[in-house]
Amino acid sequence: MLTSDQSIVEFKAGRAIVDRLTQSTHSHYLRYAERMLAIYRNGKGRQRRQLHREIESLFADEPDCPIRRIQAFCKLLDDRSIFRTDSYGKAAKLRLKVFAEAARFHPLVEQPDRLFEHNETKIKTQLADELGLPWSEIEQSLYSDVMAYQTLERFEEYPSAQALLSRYNVAQLQACLYRAEKMTVIATDNLKTILRYAKLAKLMHDIVRLGPSNYRITFSGPASVLRRTRLYGVNFAKFLPALLACKGWRMTAILKTPWNGAARLNLSDKDGFTSHLLPPDEFDSSLEESLAGKFGPERDDWRLIREGEILHNHQKTFVPDFTFRHEDGTQVLLEIVGFWTPEYLSHRRETLKQFRHQKILIALPEKSLREGARTSKNVLVYKTTIKLKSLMEALERIRIEKK
Amino acid sequence: MVRISNKQIALSFNRGTLLLSVRSPEDDGNLPHIPNTSLWTRDSRTGTLRCDAIYYAGVSRDLARQFGPSLSDEVPKPSRLKWPKVKLPKLRSNQIEALEAWSSADCRGQIIMPTGTGKTEMALAAMARTKIATLVVAPVRDLMYQWHRRILAAFDYDAGIVGDGLSNIKPVTVTTYDSAYIHMARMGAGFGLLIFDEEHHLPGRCRREAAIMSTAPMRLGLTATAERSDGLHKDLDWLIGPVVYQMPFKQAEGSILAHFGVVRIPVALNPREQATYDQCSRTIRHFMLSRRKEQPGYTWRDLCKESGSDPQARHAQKAYHLKNSIESRAAEKLRVLEDIFRLHKGRQILVFTGSNAMAIEVSRRFLVPTILSHTRKRERLAVLEKFARGEFPVLVANRVLDEGVDVPEAKVAVVIGGQGSTRQAKQRLGRVLRKSGGARATLYEVVCENTKEVQRSRQRRKSDAYERPVHRRV
Repeated sequence: MLTSDQSIVEFKAGRAIVDRLTQSTHSHYLRYAERMLAIYRNGKGRQRRQLHREIESLFADEPDCPIRRIQAFCKLLDDRSIFRTDSYGKAAKLRLKVFAEAARFHPLVEQPDRLFEHNETKIKTQLADELGLPWSEIEQSLYSDVMAYQTLERFEEYPSAQALLSRYNVAQLQACLYRAEKMTVIATDNLKTILRYAKLAKLMHDIVRLGPSNYRITFSGPASVLRRTRLYGVNFAKFLPALLACKGWRMTAILKTPWNGAARLNLSDKDGFTSHLLPPDEFDSSLEESLAGKFGPERDDWRLIREGEILHNHQKTFVPDFTFRHEDGTQVLLEIVGFWTPEYLSHRRETLKQFRHQKILIALPEKSLREGARTSKNVLVYKTTIKLKSLMEALERIRIEKK
Repeated sequence: MVRISNKQIALSFNRGTLLLSVRSPEDDGNLPHIPNTSLWTRDSRTGTLRCDAIYYAGVSRDLARQFGPSLSDEVPKPSRLKWPKVKLPKLRSNQIEALEAWSSADCRGQIIMPTGTGKTEMALAAMARTKIATLVVAPVRDLMYQWHRRILAAFDYDAGIVGDGLSNIKPVTVTTYDSAYIHMARMGAGFGLLIFDEEHHLPGRCRREAAIMSTAPMRLGLTATAERSDGLHKDLDWLIGPVVYQMPFKQAEGSILAHFGVVRIPVALNPREQATYDQCSRTIRHFMLSRRKEQPGYTWRDLCKESGSDPQARHAQKAYHLKNSIESRAAEKLRVLEDIFRLHKGRQILVFTGSNAMAIEVSRRFLVPTILSHTRKRERLAVLEKFARGEFPVLVANRVLDEGVDVPEAKVAVVIGGQGSTRQAKQRLGRVLRKSGGARATLYEVVCENTKEVQRSRQRRKSDAYERPVHRRV
């Protein structure tokens, strides 16, 4: 991720416009990206500040390139680089030695006179002789542990020049979100992934169901209800790549401008940003995949939707694997327990207890049941795959019960 | 006292905030009337009430009064500490005065004393007296480690460290403002006393969160100068407590601090530097003038905005940066430095620079040690020790040493470049003025002639520490 002083964002009429390099506006940047990658690819053994200077000079005659953009590129390239670190404190030891030796000649003067006879160049040559190294080499290593003077050991590459530009565009969005106070996502798909990654980024949610498989989720942090705060900006930034990998969403973030005003950042899956994360898997398991295949999109007036509803109670959420929606409006949720352990089963039971007023079917593997155990009517027991016939019967039973 | 049958009111700590919830067999979750309603906000996300942790002391007291045994206060409590042997020097009268003033203000407040008058000793005495889990917040790593050493010396206690890649929370812990901001959500409960060293760092829009997210009832702020140019120091009254003791600067001089003199040395840019400098100035002036003709009220900020798309604006911006780097790195400054080193041969000299690059340049030219923000602990200690023993004649530092890092026995300081704020000036002076023998301390300011730096130097001297500066050429 970038630092906030590498962020380029313009605030216009309450909207945040984040720096973005696209094929249509900045096609010539593809060449720059290639040349930047080449500098790092061939940069082994060179100092960080030299590499940065070279990147900078690449843009010397480019009218359309603010300094921050150059610095951001340097950061993204450095992120994929391994620089030699002075972990044994060799430079520090050398410094202490050289400075201790030099102390008796202090001050090193340019023009020696009767009182001060230690000429800078002479003494440095003398010290070099004593240490058995040429002075130029000593001077090179004297501060080799300072970030700017570190040398490049390995560059781990970006998959392509285009990938570097894509990464830049996402990184600028992330840096802009450091200013975010709140984020609202309207989503119809990938609900499970969205909630899971928001939780990983330590965000809290407020969920409103707008309609069938249509949710408004507002993300924020604990103190957000108390005051305007940017405490959770980094959390929003961490969450963003996961959201960009999903489909069927639009998002608005409320940002604090440098002048303490408010601005909005609007985004959606149609904006064409490329996340470095892969899109979420269509199915969590082959069990689910085979059921969805057998069922098809629709069967006997029942429509099948993947992870289409969120059950929530304060900060607890549960997105069952499938939603079955009948033409008459009946909705039945199905959660398939595939892989299981006793702890997992009891945890699931606890979660379901919270949502007992919902119509949920649970598919349990026969192996997980104790000998002679009695199951409730909302449990589908299966051996290796879920039988379509018993599923349809269960759905119809629930539908008729409702009436 | 209201007894609520079967209901349990729970107060807990949640990532820098307090939660108030009802647990009852009926699970209706409805809260009865509570005291300090205005502090609490209903949080639909959790079905509880929520407020900032900073209010913990008052809120928990009032809730306990109203609900008695129905209240279950689950906020982690600070541990009580025992200090079997305390090694602290006897406090001076003004330190005692300050400590008493703080104690009688319910151990919540700010103490303003000039650098070198023993703020740290006073704070350690406060710790010895309160005997409660304490978090010390310092501006930079160096100071954090210095607090660690002072606590070790005073209480024979190895304090925990949060920051510099470490995260070791103990009943007494030291940290930096930046780390406190990041980690307070998880360590906000469990400390009874917060000590903010150089408290003027606290009121920034982000860093203040550290004070807001902590439940600690006792708070002590220390500084030589609380005021900030943005006016936010007013918020310290809320974040820490009122100013309980203030020692004027004049009182400190002569009595506790050494006498000092200020010498300003103007240096000229060499012809090449001057030519580039003037060229840059012209570029900027022309650009601004031509823009203002079209857009009256065109500002530097507009220029920065345009620099992305307008090559001319970018050119002007570059000229500005070049000007700055000429100022701070003028070759002549190194020559003046040589003169000062000649003049004070045999004396310990501190050199402050405006940038890391300049510090390294001085170090490479004269082969003298530096202390930079990234200098590791071992080297830092070795350098400071050898400087204290007189084995190193000079110590070069970037702004790191600005505040409160103990550097004993320096009677001569040189400032090359730097910002023109009053606070920095006072603190830099404090470095040289530490009481040690009767000798007079001298502060040199090396500034470029015919540049903005002269203006900054004048601004610096507005502080009442610089009464009658002596102008002379070395």
